[in-house]
Amino acid sequence: MQGVIGAFTELDSTVHAIEELRKQNFNDIAVFSPTPRHELDEALAAKTSAVRRFTLVGGLMGVTFGYWIPIWISDYWPIVVGGKPIASWVPYTIIGFELMVLIGSLSTVFGMFALARLPRLTLTVGYDARFSHGHFGVWVNAGPDRAPQAAELLRKHGAEEVRNER
Amino acid sequence: MATMIQPDERRGNVPSAGNRLPGIKDYQQVDREIIGTLKPTLGWFALLGGAILALLIGALSWTYQIHEGLGAAGYHPPVMWGVYIISFVFWVGIGHAGTLISAILYLFRAGFRTTIYRASEAMTVFAVMTAGLFPILHLGRPWKFFWLIPYPNWRLIWPNPKSPLVWDVFAILTYLTVSATFFYIGLIPDIAVLRDQETNPVRKRIFATLALGWRNSDTEWRHFTRAYLFLAAFATPLVLSVHSVVSFDFAMSLVPGWHATIFPPYFVAGAIFSGIGMVFTIIIPIRKFMKLEHYVTINDLDAAAKLCLFTSCVVGLAYLTEFQVAWMSGNRVEQEYFWNRVFGQWWWAAWIMLICNMVMPISLFSQKLRRNVGWLFFLSIFINIGMWFERFVIVIPSLSHEFEPWQWGGYRPTWVDFGILLGSFGWFFMWFLLFIRQLPVMAIAEIKEILPAKMKHPHDVTHDLDALTIDPGQTMGDD
Repeated sequence: MQGVIGAFTELDSTVHAIEELRKQNFNDIAVFSPTPRHELDEALAAKTSAVRRFTLVGGLMGVTFGYWIPIWISDYWPIVVGGKPIASWVPYTIIGFELMVLIGSLSTVFGMFALARLPRLTLTVGYDARFSHGHFGVWVNAGPDRAPQAAELLRKHGAEEVRNER
Repeated sequence: MATMIQPDERRGNVPSAGNRLPGIKDYQQVDREIIGTLKPTLGWFALLGGAILALLIGALSWTYQIHEGLGAAGYHPPVMWGVYIISFVFWVGIGHAGTLISAILYLFRAGFRTTIYRASEAMTVFAVMTAGLFPILHLGRPWKFFWLIPYPNWRLIWPNPKSPLVWDVFAILTYLTVSATFFYIGLIPDIAVLRDQETNPVRKRIFATLALGWRNSDTEWRHFTRAYLFLAAFATPLVLSVHSVVSFDFAMSLVPGWHATIFPPYFVAGAIFSGIGMVFTIIIPIRKFMKLEHYVTINDLDAAAKLCLFTSCVVGLAYLTEFQVAWMSGNRVEQEYFWNRVFGQWWWAAWIMLICNMVMPISLFSQKLRRNVGWLFFLSIFINIGMWFERFVIVIPSLSHEFEPWQWGGYRPTWVDFGILLGSFGWFFMWFLLFIRQLPVMAIAEIKEILPAKMKHPHDVTHDLDALTIDPGQTMGDD
């Protein structure tokens, strides 16, 4: 990974820098911010997260498993309770619901970790402790030929500090 | 072109829709002040010592009970459920407000949740950890508790999935897992702040491990906010289901006073009410002694007090509906039971419940009292007491006064019951006190999110001011 990192103190400067970089065909950009800001997502034209697919699949697996377990137990060890059918779907809905929530939630977290590439053993090139504190960071992936142009652009938009990273 | 939320003009120290925390100037101040609360004090050590002592008393009582048998805890027919089941329902209920504040109010974009949700969420996790102990304490052979979980075994025995007690196992385990996960996921960005600010190498290493390599990138935030939204969406029906399932432990039986369809909503409202009581009990000292009054503003407490008043009204309505249903049912056993509840053997417990939960919260109709921190704290203690007695009134009078007069009896808790009850408070507060000095008691990233970001051109007209069109999934807090 080779590129340029710029640290900004103002949100609007960061957004302007990202917009300008994208206009100049710098498309491999990562932004670091102390808090999620929709302005940054819009400037990056970020796609909606695919976490929802993990949630859906996990939820469906959970509800299926949650109904299957009590139905299987009832079939294996049949006890008539209150004159109701051996496999009664009404009370089993409780177990179905709880396992939908449990497995759906855990798969959502798994999806978030997988998509955001967490856990990460080392912080990537260019990360700076200031980015969790109050600064906004813009990382531009650029080779030696285009790095000076990217650095110039970041400075032009008010970056407090610009560094080449490799 | 990206849209930009513009900061509002500061109007003194008065919270407004555009600027909820006027006492906070920038992101750095948030880090400085919230991380500053992590320094242990002498008072904190004293409280922690007290909590551990209470826990040891509970552990000693339990050891004695295991040696002597459950009879040591004051169980005599017909009352075979006592302080343990009362406390189980009480602690599960306490947990509910945390999930309401962290998940339900998140989905509803209620602004006052931002500064109080982390403490409430921690309260939920520790309260459910406490509640989960009580069914185990209630077992003659507590080391066999895992027999309730359906797993393939050599005994070829499976639990009965039509039993409410088995539903409870699924509900409580799911609730504990999901609320602990929700709590930890929300903490990750804040632990990353601690990692970046910490100077002690050992603590820095611990925080680095717990932060999982979080680096605040746009990709991480995008997936994080989406996952957080879905977890909140799962936690919302979960919180309603858990106390409904707890109420089924009673409502599925034919015992007078328990056999009622009103139980699930009645229990859920009661749980949220009791939890808000506990939120006041913990958040008011936190904001005072950690000097965080400009984070948890009086407006936030006022809003939480309105929620408290609303749930108190729902609970009060449920109490009165129970009497009305008994009166109109024409069922003599039911009528006898409710008469006995208020004017008979257990009148004192019923009146503690009615006064603490129904009468005293009426004071919150007064805005002056809603904004009086001392009164809120005082009231919250009475709500905690009242809600414990609500569960006492549900459990004991029903069991001691069933269908046949020759079956009627009494109940007298022993020192073992009280020791374990004290131990449960020790267990809960030990975890909570450890939490408030090790991890941020307020969500740093979310507080930064509601602060106006620093701008080069604060009134940049080249960008639209369509802040109201934010996609709910892309932001954590509100405006």
